[in-house]
Amino acid sequence: MSEATLLSVSDLCVELHSRRGSFRLTADELELNAREALVILGPNGSGKSTLVRTLAGLERPTAGRVESAATGPVTMVFQSPAPLAGSVAHNVRVAFLGKKLSGSERRARVTEALERFKIDHLAEHRAATLSGGELRRLALSRAFALRPAVLLLDEPFAGLDADGQAALSLDLRRAISDTGVAVAMVTHDLRRAMLLSDRIAVLIDGKLVQVGRRDDVLERPSTLEIARVVGMTNLVQGVVGEDRRGDLAVVEVDERHRVATPTAFTAGTRVWIGIRPEHLKLDIGRGEVDPIGKGIVREIVNDGVSVSVGVDWAGSELRTHLMAGRGLARTLELGAQVSLSANPEHVHLIPIRSTSQMA
Amino acid sequence: MNPPSIGLLVEITARTLAVCLPALAISLAIGLPIGIAIGGRRFAGRVPLVSLINTGMGAPPVVVGLVVFFALERNGPFGSWSLLYSPVAMVLAQVVIALPLVVGITLAAVGSLDEDWELQVRTLGVPKRWRLWLLVREIRLGLLAAVITALGGILSEVGAVMAVGGNLEGETRVLTTAILMYTQMGELEIALGLAVILVGLMLVLAGLLTAVQQSGRA
Repeated sequence: MSEATLLSVSDLCVELHSRRGSFRLTADELELNAREALVILGPNGSGKSTLVRTLAGLERPTAGRVESAATGPVTMVFQSPAPLAGSVAHNVRVAFLGKKLSGSERRARVTEALERFKIDHLAEHRAATLSGGELRRLALSRAFALRPAVLLLDEPFAGLDADGQAALSLDLRRAISDTGVAVAMVTHDLRRAMLLSDRIAVLIDGKLVQVGRRDDVLERPSTLEIARVVGMTNLVQGVVGEDRRGDLAVVEVDERHRVATPTAFTAGTRVWIGIRPEHLKLDIGRGEVDPIGKGIVREIVNDGVSVSVGVDWAGSELRTHLMAGRGLARTLELGAQVSLSANPEHVHLIPIRSTSQMA
Repeated sequence: MNPPSIGLLVEITARTLAVCLPALAISLAIGLPIGIAIGGRRFAGRVPLVSLINTGMGAPPVVVGLVVFFALERNGPFGSWSLLYSPVAMVLAQVVIALPLVVGITLAAVGSLDEDWELQVRTLGVPKRWRLWLLVREIRLGLLAAVITALGGILSEVGAVMAVGGNLEGETRVLTTAILMYTQMGELEIALGLAVILVGLMLVLAGLLTAVQQSGRA
């Protein structure tokens, strides 16, 4: 464990048994470092909550170790925070029970914590009367009032509407930045993960399958399943060809659809070509850089903020996002032919290792 | 028959309280920790145990009295203690009646808390004794319901105290057994007067507890 590491997991195995069945979580190695935000992503039932509860000491490992070098408190905010009887301020003060703090220090910390999450005006309200969003703010206020060294968050935005999620994630981001607390957060919301994370860990079927810096995991998922979890939704099969364009290999989907990208895979390797929606560019002109071919617009979904466009390309649907009300988003129509392009650095190849990975 | 004197009424009422209040205190002292322990834990055999407690909540008092009678009679396992037809025997019988009520209502109150309640408090680093204090504070309305129910069960109970106390004048006669006796003797006015005292007692005690309970909702 390095000096900066506050929590570390090695060769972890957690087995849970209940009437609903058994579950097994394994993680070879995972570290949470000082002043970093680690987001744990994965499909439902992949073991995200089990992992974070194990980090909190609430689940006992069957094998392996969870080590803590944190000098301050390690605390956790649950997916469904339960209010305690009494006022909002009392709910925050509970965190100080059994701790040696002066009355003025307690009051100052309560006020600071409630202000941090913008619920100071509710201090004397009964906690049981709070809305779902206010309850989450209360749980976060209470956790931050402890001035923790490590904060573990289990789906802190679950059940909130889009506006509530956006507002809370900004406040949480500011609180994390102001305090320098190390955070491990479970979520299945990619937008929040991208906003808050320094590093990302991905769990699939109870196994920790990839950990790395945020952009590395988002842009370089190591398997097809991980690609789907991290939002690399544009996935098309191809074969690494013999042709090269300088340092770039050309991956052939069919005779008219080719993608250039730097790769170490040898010619003939069957691969999934992955391009994140935000890295796929649309143009109706001809002067685009890094073209990958033409496609037909099949779907346009405008939510007032962004426009999601589905394009038929080489028999697969690729998706990209445009800013609503601007440029191409104002004129694009269903059935239009568009040119697609992607920076070769943003094209990721995943080798197809078995027939089960083929579409 | 001459009506009982004021002094006798006071004596019967005082003995009623002297039997019921210790029985209530013992039931709470034993029942609350057991209810909290069972309510907050999952373990093998919990379901049959809770089922047994629920059965005990509805046990006929006269049957309870009979069981305690057999336990305390001269040839019973505790016959050598010579407790039969004493106030102590009445307290024992009332504890057996009230204990399942206290345990059952307490464990239901603990069970109604959020599944992660204890874990949420634990992750705040709250020490164990403070967690217990928080738990009691959290379920205090349920606990007061347990106290009121147990008090009602004890105070209004007649079958068991009659079986193990014997309604001996000046020794084990309490309000309920006295009401029963005067009713059987056709002294209905006296029985009615004692009933008014009993109901008044229950009203005052339950009223006080209810006031405390409802103030917790404010």
